Amino acid sequence: MSLIAGVDIGNSTTEVCVGEAAADGTIHFLTSASRPTTGTKGTVANTHAIKAALNRAMSSIGRTISDISLIRLNEAAPVIGDTAMETLTETIITDSSMIGHNPSTPAGAGQAVGEILLIDNLSRGIPGTPYIVAADDSYSYEEVAAILNQSADTLDIAGVILKADEAVLVENRLRKKIPIIDEVARIDKLPDGVLAAIEVALPGQTVRMLSNPYGIATLLHLNAEETRTVTPIAKSLIGKRSAVVLKTPGGNVRENVLPAGEIYLNAENSASINLDEGAAEIMKAVADAGKIHDISGQPDTNVGNMLTRIKRGMGELDHTPDADIRITDILAVDTLAPVLISGALAGETCLEKAVGIAAMVKTQHLPMREIADKLKMELGTDVRIAGVEAVMASLGALTTPGTKLPLAILDMGGGSTDAAVISEDGRVTMTHQAGAGELVSMLIETELGLGDRHIAEQIKKYPLAKVESLFHMRMENGQMTFVDESIDPRFYGRVILLAEDGYIRIEKELPMEKIVQVRRDAKRKVFVTNAFRALKSVAPGQDLKNISNVVLVGGSAEDFEIPEMLMEEFADYRIVCGRGNIRGTEGPRNAVATGLVLSYAGERQ
Amino acid sequence: MQVNEDLVKQITNAVLTEMKHRKDTNPAPVTSGSPAASTAVTQSLAGRDRINPVKTSYASYPRAKKGTDPKEVVIGVGAAFQKEIQKTICGIPLDDVLKNVKAGIEEEGMVPRVVKILDTSDVCFMALEAAKTSGSGIGIGIQSKGTTVIHQKDLYPLSNLELFPQAPLMDLETYRKIGKNAAKYVKGEQVVPIPCTNDPMSRPKYQVKAALMHIAETEQLDPEVGIIEWEEK
Repeated sequence: MSLIAGVDIGNSTTEVCVGEAAADGTIHFLTSASRPTTGTKGTVANTHAIKAALNRAMSSIGRTISDISLIRLNEAAPVIGDTAMETLTETIITDSSMIGHNPSTPAGAGQAVGEILLIDNLSRGIPGTPYIVAADDSYSYEEVAAILNQSADTLDIAGVILKADEAVLVENRLRKKIPIIDEVARIDKLPDGVLAAIEVALPGQTVRMLSNPYGIATLLHLNAEETRTVTPIAKSLIGKRSAVVLKTPGGNVRENVLPAGEIYLNAENSASINLDEGAAEIMKAVADAGKIHDISGQPDTNVGNMLTRIKRGMGELDHTPDADIRITDILAVDTLAPVLISGALAGETCLEKAVGIAAMVKTQHLPMREIADKLKMELGTDVRIAGVEAVMASLGALTTPGTKLPLAILDMGGGSTDAAVISEDGRVTMTHQAGAGELVSMLIETELGLGDRHIAEQIKKYPLAKVESLFHMRMENGQMTFVDESIDPRFYGRVILLAEDGYIRIEKELPMEKIVQVRRDAKRKVFVTNAFRALKSVAPGQDLKNISNVVLVGGSAEDFEIPEMLMEEFADYRIVCGRGNIRGTEGPRNAVATGLVLSYAGERQ
Repeated sequence: MQVNEDLVKQITNAVLTEMKHRKDTNPAPVTSGSPAASTAVTQSLAGRDRINPVKTSYASYPRAKKGTDPKEVVIGVGAAFQKEIQKTICGIPLDDVLKNVKAGIEEEGMVPRVVKILDTSDVCFMALEAAKTSGSGIGIGIQSKGTTVIHQKDLYPLSNLELFPQAPLMDLETYRKIGKNAAKYVKGEQVVPIPCTNDPMSRPKYQVKAALMHIAETEQLDPEVGIIEWEEK
């Protein structure tokens, strides 16, 4: 009777499994645990996480690490993943030609055209000319309303632009109702005497005239040539609740394409592709290139620097002088990043095109021997390196009830998506693909403009709800949930995440529907794309139809929606696909660690 | 009525005189002599057991009814508000305070209503009473010294939505934002955190004044009358 521990070091989590090997060669599983990986996968810094996980596992059965007679480390696949984001476009407003924003409370509705007239110069107004009055916040809402009411009989005032957030207050005090836009921070930049059009949308709608080039042409009397130049302005106002467009001679909105750099593919069919072309073109080039030897980027561009950084990181792990470090796969995903427009008057943002990239770097082998030696020294237990990661994962996956050979596994972790197929005679084909959970977190962070990776991780992991009163909330699927104890007032009116140990408040003001959509899109873009790519490359004859069973394992298989997404996609190929349930109890986690313990029995026989 | 600055001076002078007097005659430590000191303070203000000798009668005012408008935010002001006390602890006219809170509510499209709470001078209970009177269930309590709470009718008195405890550091902009946030709670929208300054010295600096203003407010309470509609000024 001896205790055997299997240890699996992943990019983001370290998992252990402890089993008891009986004299007759049967294995009886006792416990398992997981901890976040310390340091980069495959370095001696990993030992801290290994010890922590072993401690936790052993203490849960009331024993200590010293009771373990053998620790089996997996020969971790010598691949690490990294991610980077590259913004491709930038929008610039020149000559303050437009203001389009979503103040929470504009007032009135409809369009108005007139010359900009500062409220100080109201006495200079000429009767009969329509004006749009601009008021600084040195005037209170009562003063603005009084002045406008006073001149309403003599002057033709068509609309108002305010600096302070007082549109509704002014409108409630006006005798004649006109559209009012507020919260325009840089009102001092508005040129006096220039023709302007303003529009406030009806509640629940967005601007219609100013987001249409011909609408702007109608309001500002533009000719065909001028109408062509206002098209970018109209485009950038789509989806806004209120907007101002000024007719300035040099005014324009420009979309600059930033130099993003090229990626060079050194492969069977070598190619180079510019990042500007977008994710679809990049992925097509990667697919067409055949077997890829190495990927590099144009020096001194963001992508070039990122690829060099990943290689250098791997170089620090593998100290062998003839280390052969190569980037063998990349996954590019199109995304949109909200960026502050330069030259904007009201702090407007624009969704700029961006590309998210995950890369996979490969070396000959990771210095697993060093980890094993260090562990052995510290724990005084026999430590052995056993088995290839994908084989062990398949072995563990086979403990899922209802599986049989031939079997395909899809290991979706934090840094990489791995696939392996075991045929009936035990032959294993495997592949490692760039892009997994961490790329999803990065996409969520960028698209929602969170600027905080931690909250993006949590958005990825937990479902959302909106607290509508202190006693009920609406779930993201529309279901109402009532609670007995009142919800903490800190969550009142907020979008929250339903974590295991309570609620997490999302600080940024984002509608729940938008977060759900971004989260699902990010997962689909990364995992569905990668699942197909990975399975295709390991399927017999490169045809998905030759695979009948797919077991999903790894951290991202635990996700509450990714397995369902993949199931729907694979249903078209008549593939049985589902979340693994290792040993019938562990869910999709712990496959490799379980495989390591099982393989011990195999070796003894 | 009596301006509070005068009162503060009066008491400070009384205490100083007493301390000087005690030093001259009896050099005993302050702790042992404290009961004597407190009687001396009352003695120096001889003949006065109230800050404001006259108590305003609100018996003839219309009693506040529970609102039915779901867009309503009720502002519950203190008993001495705009009557015995005209300015907050840091000198902001209460008229302006009320005007800005109402403007904040109106800008968000909700409807403000002002009541005067004569049951209690505790700001949390005031705010809760305002919330219970409000058609939307959201209320704001404002003490005459400026301390403000946003409350919801289903909460416990001391577990409010938002509390602004440091009245000496508030300005009109803050009061405007309080009104806006209260209205956003009604609409179920995400509220914007209101930036507040914090000064650990404001407590010792304003403690006497705050206590006096609170007493001035408390002595105007009239639980028989309860809550009245308050549209004065």
